[in-house]
Amino acid sequence: MVDRIFAGVLLIVTLAYAVIAFTAIKAPFQYDPLGPESWPQILSLVAMACLLVILWRPDATEMGVACKTWFRLGATVLMLCAYSELYEPLGFVLATILFGTALCAMLGAGLVRSIVFGFAAGIGGYLLCVTLLDLNLPEGELIEAIMDATAQEGAS
Amino acid sequence: MDAVFTGLATGFGVALDPFNLFLVLAGCFAGTLIGALPGLGPINGVAILLPIAYGLGFGPESALILLAGIYYGAEYGGRISSILLNVPGDAGAVMTTLDGNPMARKGEAGRALSLSAVASFVGGTFAVILMSLFAPLLASFAVTFSPANYVALMVFAFASLASLVGKSTVKTLLGAVIGLMLATIGIDANTGVPRFTFGIPDILAGIDFLIVVVGLFGMAELLTLVEHQVSGKLKSLPVDKSFVRMADLAKCKWTIVRSSILGFFIGILPGTGASVASAVAYGTEKRISDSEKTFGTGDVRGLAAPEAANNAAAGGAMVPMLTLGIPGSGTTAILLGALLMFNIQPGPMMFTQRPDVAWGLIASMYIGNVALLVINLPLVGLFARMLTIPQHYLTPLIAILAFIGIYTIVGNPFDLLLITGLGVFGWILRKLDFSLAPVILGFVLGSLFENNLRRALSISGGDWGILLQDYKSIVLYALALIVVVAPIWLSRRARAMEGDADPRG
Repeated sequence: MVDRIFAGVLLIVTLAYAVIAFTAIKAPFQYDPLGPESWPQILSLVAMACLLVILWRPDATEMGVACKTWFRLGATVLMLCAYSELYEPLGFVLATILFGTALCAMLGAGLVRSIVFGFAAGIGGYLLCVTLLDLNLPEGELIEAIMDATAQEGAS
Repeated sequence: MDAVFTGLATGFGVALDPFNLFLVLAGCFAGTLIGALPGLGPINGVAILLPIAYGLGFGPESALILLAGIYYGAEYGGRISSILLNVPGDAGAVMTTLDGNPMARKGEAGRALSLSAVASFVGGTFAVILMSLFAPLLASFAVTFSPANYVALMVFAFASLASLVGKSTVKTLLGAVIGLMLATIGIDANTGVPRFTFGIPDILAGIDFLIVVVGLFGMAELLTLVEHQVSGKLKSLPVDKSFVRMADLAKCKWTIVRSSILGFFIGILPGTGASVASAVAYGTEKRISDSEKTFGTGDVRGLAAPEAANNAAAGGAMVPMLTLGIPGSGTTAILLGALLMFNIQPGPMMFTQRPDVAWGLIASMYIGNVALLVINLPLVGLFARMLTIPQHYLTPLIAILAFIGIYTIVGNPFDLLLITGLGVFGWILRKLDFSLAPVILGFVLGSLFENNLRRALSISGGDWGILLQDYKSIVLYALALIVVVAPIWLSRRARAMEGDADPRG
């Protein structure tokens, strides 16, 4: 069943891909016998053939994931999305402290340990990557704004 | 032969540079640590660390040496969690658990670990020696390949992938096609026509290779870890003071040699990596030498066979990647992508155009092998301690590393959402028994496949007959056919024979 749903969704995507490949993509002029549209056309046909076989004869019937696990997975994905959204506004250090603590606590570590881990990952990670490895990580718009404000106060 | 020696001399010149030497050691050490972590195999380790290695701004040869060290070390470290925990890090290490874990349970963990280290060393070294002999030969032969031959080669690669990897042929093929389709997104290089970009400027240049790799492997792995999350620690068997004996080595001598040869040649086959090699080696060895039915209960030969094959295959998989530009496994596909990011096109010309990179890598593998043996024998206790790192620290750490890696490439937070999305997609694929290696192989080979097909047809003026014109292509198509048909035929025959033996069934 799950196989069928997944293959069905992919089939819709592939059909859209095929429609674009067969109608929309065209080179204004070309010297080669094969234009930019031929390869995607071939691929879409092969993909559709595979998908039809899966639809006809699916083998995975269930995901085998318990309700509680779905909840945990959903929470993880949400946290990852939040982490990506906050990465630049809050900066690496703050975002990582929040994310590390939250995920660690959700996965079953004690609260104190999670907080220690979050801080260690955020601050330690920043020091390691920025000062030692010279990588580029966001400082955070919020922190920059505060730093600017204090710097201006100091100047004036 | 001369070419090999001058090449090796160049290579050792590069690899023995103190900085590169340091990178080999650091890569091997980090790789073993990653490989030892339960559930985190070589492919995920390389995937997570690749963007960081890229962001460090090393030269191509140094970055590649570092990555190859990690790859190599992870193949090495995988046995630790297999033996002590009975949890294989990846598909290639499954066979190691069969005899390794029973040995550890009998209180011979030290013996099992040291024996497998020696077997891995022999397998790995054997592969590197064969590789330095074979690779230049294959490269000089491959120079004569025409675009039509490349198309045939690619068909062969995908055929062997579809028939040997994964549970379902159709699903593996579909995975490869998904990868190929992902690769068509972006501006077509020949005509400048945008394809499937929907006017989004972020993907005009195509989806970044690193994002696909980290998303499909790193993030999907993370979700799998969360799914299987067990609270508390996994129970690790203690490492004792027992050590490999000369008698063991004498007993395993031929096993190791046989398995190394087998592993190397299976590794060379495009698409098939360590997992197939170790399974075949274990099966063969069981058939040849399991006269007392001790395999599976802690037989030293049952441990040595998959370990030697595993590491030999890791070396063998590098051969087609370096000489033909067609990777032999998922992990080498990632290494190939890494080379492309440095604007180095792997393939037959690499040995003449960039001998420093090609031979530097080979030489670093010699050094890496010795280093791994030296690191592994005394420090195995330290690595074993990694096994007890609770999952609730490990999982967030993977996410943080992946985010650092992706953010440092271009500093675009949109990419972070993209890897999360691809991670969910990869997790679903894994849940439905698709293997992910074909997807990445398809993605890496997409443009090469398409360009060669178009070039071949330009040469012939649109006549598809060119694809079958010379003997090299025909041989390759025939091989592709054999690879697809043979397993089906063999399983039919096996079933028929079982039917004969058991009339009730």
